[in-house]
Amino acid sequence: MKKIVITGGKGGVGKSTVAILFADKLVRENKKVILCDCDVECPNDYLLLGQKLAKPIEKVFAEFPKLIKKKCKKCGLCAKTCRSNAIFQAPGKYPVFIKDLCSACGACWIVCPYGAIGPQKEETGQIFTNRVKNNFWLVTGMAKPGLEETGPVVTEVKKFALKFAEKNKVNVTLFDTAPGIHCPVVSALLNCDLAYCVTEPTPMGAYDLNLILDLCQKLKVPAKVILNQADLGDKRKIEKIAKKFKTKVEKEIPYSRKLVEAYSKGKLLNFRL
Amino acid sequence: MRLVIASGKGGVGKSMLASALAMLFAEDKKVVAVDCDADAPNLAIWLGGVKKWDKTILVSTSAKPEFDFKKCNGCSLCVKNCRFEALQLAQGKPKLNPFLCEGCGACEVICPLKVIKLKPVQNGEIKIKKTKYNFPLVSGQLYPGESGSGKVVTEIKKEAEKFAHEVMIIDSAPGTGCPVIASLQGANFAILITEPTPSGFSDLKRVLEVVNHFKVPYRIVVNKWDINKNLSQKIEKWAGRKFLGKISFDKEIFKAIANLKPILETNLKAKREIKEIFNKLAT
Repeated sequence: MKKIVITGGKGGVGKSTVAILFADKLVRENKKVILCDCDVECPNDYLLLGQKLAKPIEKVFAEFPKLIKKKCKKCGLCAKTCRSNAIFQAPGKYPVFIKDLCSACGACWIVCPYGAIGPQKEETGQIFTNRVKNNFWLVTGMAKPGLEETGPVVTEVKKFALKFAEKNKVNVTLFDTAPGIHCPVVSALLNCDLAYCVTEPTPMGAYDLNLILDLCQKLKVPAKVILNQADLGDKRKIEKIAKKFKTKVEKEIPYSRKLVEAYSKGKLLNFRL
Repeated sequence: MRLVIASGKGGVGKSMLASALAMLFAEDKKVVAVDCDADAPNLAIWLGGVKKWDKTILVSTSAKPEFDFKKCNGCSLCVKNCRFEALQLAQGKPKLNPFLCEGCGACEVICPLKVIKLKPVQNGEIKIKKTKYNFPLVSGQLYPGESGSGKVVTEIKKEAEKFAHEVMIIDSAPGTGCPVIASLQGANFAILITEPTPSGFSDLKRVLEVVNHFKVPYRIVVNKWDINKNLSQKIEKWAGRKFLGKISFDKEIFKAIANLKPILETNLKAKREIKEIFNKLAT
């Protein structure tokens, strides 16, 4: 089974569009395919496929700190240990946990000498499955809005998709990532066979492509470039960056108002890549 | 005033709008423009590009464990307590995957034999440029492969606060996670920009949950409104009195920015529409 990532650095360059059209192309070549939406902060593949998310098939949890007041001696060790600045403690007062900053790492209850912090399990995300058509499944990960640390949700969604792939004897699993280069993208890229980096021929596209190719190189994931709206700008800069990372522009997709409109109506599958 | 431009979805026009608003506010106010998308910072490009930054400050808001293996008895408590699956046991000793490590220090505090010590790592940089539009731009970059995007954003904002200003324009990252949360903290006002696509609308509602959590007052702008007029109307109706304005889709914007031409220096319809948005905002 092949694990292929669709990523790109910049937002709105067509990652999801490419992921969906690529998945559909593989299905039409008689492959069994899972598309796994790893943009857990803003998952959109289901919308572009005209699917609805029913009940989650699995839930993702993390453990957050909760103070057990009667055991707390206000020693301040938890606040000193927290590297996320998520524990505030005024002198002589009980510590206050700031959820917005908490990465749910557990250092505070490990360090507390009085057992005054209890881990409290909370839902951080959900996983959904859709059967788009014969041999084409969609796995969607969705994090709770406002969750600080979304990388672990991606890790869980990926694990689920890989188990699902094994069970259904899938040939290719495509992972569609969030924009950017930080933890949710890193979690999606790790241990994959190939990354297609989607970009556009603008200075922003070029700048962000450089970053994502750099990240792929560090993670040792071979990368290729897909240039979307290829005819709208200067593609030489993109080609130069690809060359710098010893790869190339594998495919160019020309600008198409029809494609933009199909996207805006959630009817991407009428299109062929 | 700290004004944040956020969107949920990427590529809907955050940096374009942020650059234009900074330039318009700067006509009669002291402005500082802040690029808080430390993952993929593009605000400088929308302001005509920066060839040489005035100042670069190295940031170290992350840390990674180092192991003194002579003391390690292979108890694997560190491995079991790493919530990010960054530690694995290899030949009886913990082995770090630095790319999954959040630098939280749980391994350091759980180790009974004090094998592990966290060492700070340089995970990004802050860059400052006095633009030709009479205001400073404070930008930043998380290094590829490093963690702590949100903490880099917090440092960028701290640096920006050092400039005397009446209006701070904050260009946020897409998504709803740590860099967005860090951008929204302490904000007085937010402009949420979207596009009339099912994705744009869905992501707008998701980022709105975060904005409401922080109780930041907001207004909504629809970019590329004419690519789906029906949905655009629906979003406008849904937004009600929170609706601020809309911007037309134009391929020419692509060409302008390819030549590093800020939107306000073009004669495109979008320029007039953004000015209208600014005028409504200013009142």
